[in-house]
Amino acid sequence: MKTSSRNPNSGRLTAVALLVLPLAVYALLYLMPIGSMIWLSLDNGELGRSLERFGESDARDPDARAAALLADMQAMNGRQQGEAARALNQEIAGFRTLFISTARKAGEIPPTMAGLTAFDARWADQRFWDVLRDNAGSVTWRHFRKATGLDFDKDGRLGPYGDDIYMQVMLRTLVIAGQVTIVTLVIGYPLAYAAANASPKFAHFVLIAVLVSFWTSVLVRTTAWVILLQTSGLVNTALVALSIVDAPIQLIFNRFGAIVSMTHVLLPFAIIPMMNVMRTIPKSQADASRILGAGPIETFLRVYLPQTLRGVAVGGFTVFILALGFYITPALTGGPGDQMLSFYIADFVKKSLNWGMASALSVLLLAAVLLLVGTFGLLNWATLRRKEPA
Amino acid sequence: MKAVKILLTCAAVAFGSYPALARDVTIAGWGGNYQDAQREAYFKVFAEKTGLKQIETTYLGGLAEIKAMVDTGNVTWDFVITGGNELQIGCEEGLFERLDWQAIGTDGLLPEAVQPCGAGNVVIGNGFAYNSEVFPQAPQDWRDFFDREKFPGKRGVRNTPVMNLEFALLADGVAPDKLYEVLATPAGVDRAFAQWDKIKDLLQYWESGAQPVEWLASNNVALSTTYNGRIIMAKREGKPLEFVWKNHLVNMDVWAIVANSPYKKYATEFFKTVNDPANQAKFSSLMPYGPSNTKAGALIPAEILKDLPTGDNIKDAAFMSDAFWVDHQDELTERWNRWSTQ
Repeated sequence: MKTSSRNPNSGRLTAVALLVLPLAVYALLYLMPIGSMIWLSLDNGELGRSLERFGESDARDPDARAAALLADMQAMNGRQQGEAARALNQEIAGFRTLFISTARKAGEIPPTMAGLTAFDARWADQRFWDVLRDNAGSVTWRHFRKATGLDFDKDGRLGPYGDDIYMQVMLRTLVIAGQVTIVTLVIGYPLAYAAANASPKFAHFVLIAVLVSFWTSVLVRTTAWVILLQTSGLVNTALVALSIVDAPIQLIFNRFGAIVSMTHVLLPFAIIPMMNVMRTIPKSQADASRILGAGPIETFLRVYLPQTLRGVAVGGFTVFILALGFYITPALTGGPGDQMLSFYIADFVKKSLNWGMASALSVLLLAAVLLLVGTFGLLNWATLRRKEPA
Repeated sequence: MKAVKILLTCAAVAFGSYPALARDVTIAGWGGNYQDAQREAYFKVFAEKTGLKQIETTYLGGLAEIKAMVDTGNVTWDFVITGGNELQIGCEEGLFERLDWQAIGTDGLLPEAVQPCGAGNVVIGNGFAYNSEVFPQAPQDWRDFFDREKFPGKRGVRNTPVMNLEFALLADGVAPDKLYEVLATPAGVDRAFAQWDKIKDLLQYWESGAQPVEWLASNNVALSTTYNGRIIMAKREGKPLEFVWKNHLVNMDVWAIVANSPYKKYATEFFKTVNDPANQAKFSSLMPYGPSNTKAGALIPAEILKDLPTGDNIKDAAFMSDAFWVDHQDELTERWNRWSTQ
């Protein structure tokens, strides 16, 4: 022990060991949920295992597959039958009742195709058998097929044959997040400038105003906007009283309302990083620029703005990523055409218990974010490299 | 009597120290006035009978929490009031305990109230409402709800096909007892969506039951689908709102007990309490929803009865089919989402 403690390498080893532990905990806490989410979007284990005999049966022999299905049904307990029925009903409406009623009587039905169709004529419909065949494996792509609208045609070519509603919603989510980011930056930049450069008293005031709204619950802030912007709200009453408009205008429960309330919620995330960067810029630079003959606009554009861009990028990016995950705020202040992807994710989790579909949509959202982060990182790296030689 | 109480208390203490019963009995409800009324009518009676300490919590619909509890074996709720659709799915998947109806007894209960895993308890009228100061000429039926010329302005609705498709078919002249026959056919679904197409740009989605009342009172929407109870309560507070009873859609909220609840042995006592006609009559006089026990009607004063989705009001009502929605909710929700996105 004594010799090892004198060994200069042992200190480094301890340091590495001390670093590895928190890193492992971090990886576990951070990556595990993401991993399990990705797994959940593909996992069909429960259903696959329940339909094990059916999966192994000969697809071309109707009697063999009927017998295998009935044997599988008998092997399932009531709970497994219920879960299998729920998963299958997501594919064809009515499969739940058909599956459950058949499974309950599985022991009494003759194990042939004729026996099954005699019990319920719907079993003659090939669609039910196709869905069963699709779901007999332990991995499924059905959630991704539904989420992306991509599907295989008869010849096995991948193409946009499905319903692309979730891709449309994804696009809308990106557009709304982009709109919110632009508005936040436009409002946040002058505020951050004021907080960074004005007299300490005013700077404090701005900072406190930003932080108070930061500490208020999202629901409270959202409700406040509903009260302000509704048809009989303060803003509309004022507009009508000042004869700016003849009749109250629709300011909320549409895209405008969604963007206003989301901007308010996200503003602090844009202001704080911009303010931090602005504080590091010495005032003397602007004075120097003016002395050298540049006007105020040129000084701002060539001296001040380029130095703050890093703060703008960090703030804008934070706002954009956070905005992508919003759903309560647009649900309460937006219209039917302003619901974002997370709304549908929450809907799948809570209402239809379709956690696979919710996971698939989350994976797509995560992929979009990673793609954007990657692009942003690449651009950042490219600009840094361009600057270095000079 | 005193001896019984002492015995009960002793029993409660004995059970209370049992490790599996480390937490108090937990009842999950829909919150608001609704839960306040249930506390008065049922929870207090149940606590008195059993001597159990209670915790109340709010349930927001769906089966996600309950499934998570049962799957992880950490059951933190015992009794929960849920919808018929959730009850059936949860029962099939083993999320709720099966009830011993022989011990509970079915005397006086509506046949629909007796379910394998639950007891139908609260009869709710789902219709639409308006502000009587805005429309002195009252809208009469669902046809008026979909008539943008006669009743201009926004429509508050829930963002789901459930009940909304039925409302559309009622507006299109389908008889209340033929609703699900029509809705089970693709042509019937198209008919329902065709009605909604007429007012698609006027829709404003509500999430919580309090929103329609606020929106109607502040003139934010012209008409809104809603529950009869919310509107009647608002009326009692003096708001100028009226509920349209013509062809309202009736559904039932059900009490159930979460699978593997440590308080399983009290289930019979609990369900007896909520099925009791006197308790139900008390609930209905506090919260204007109908009782599931037919014997409760006689105990409710006439001025309360006129606001309930039972009696005269139920004459031309339609009954919501949980069985239909258990099969079709996935498919029709997809179509509704697509329709409302485009």
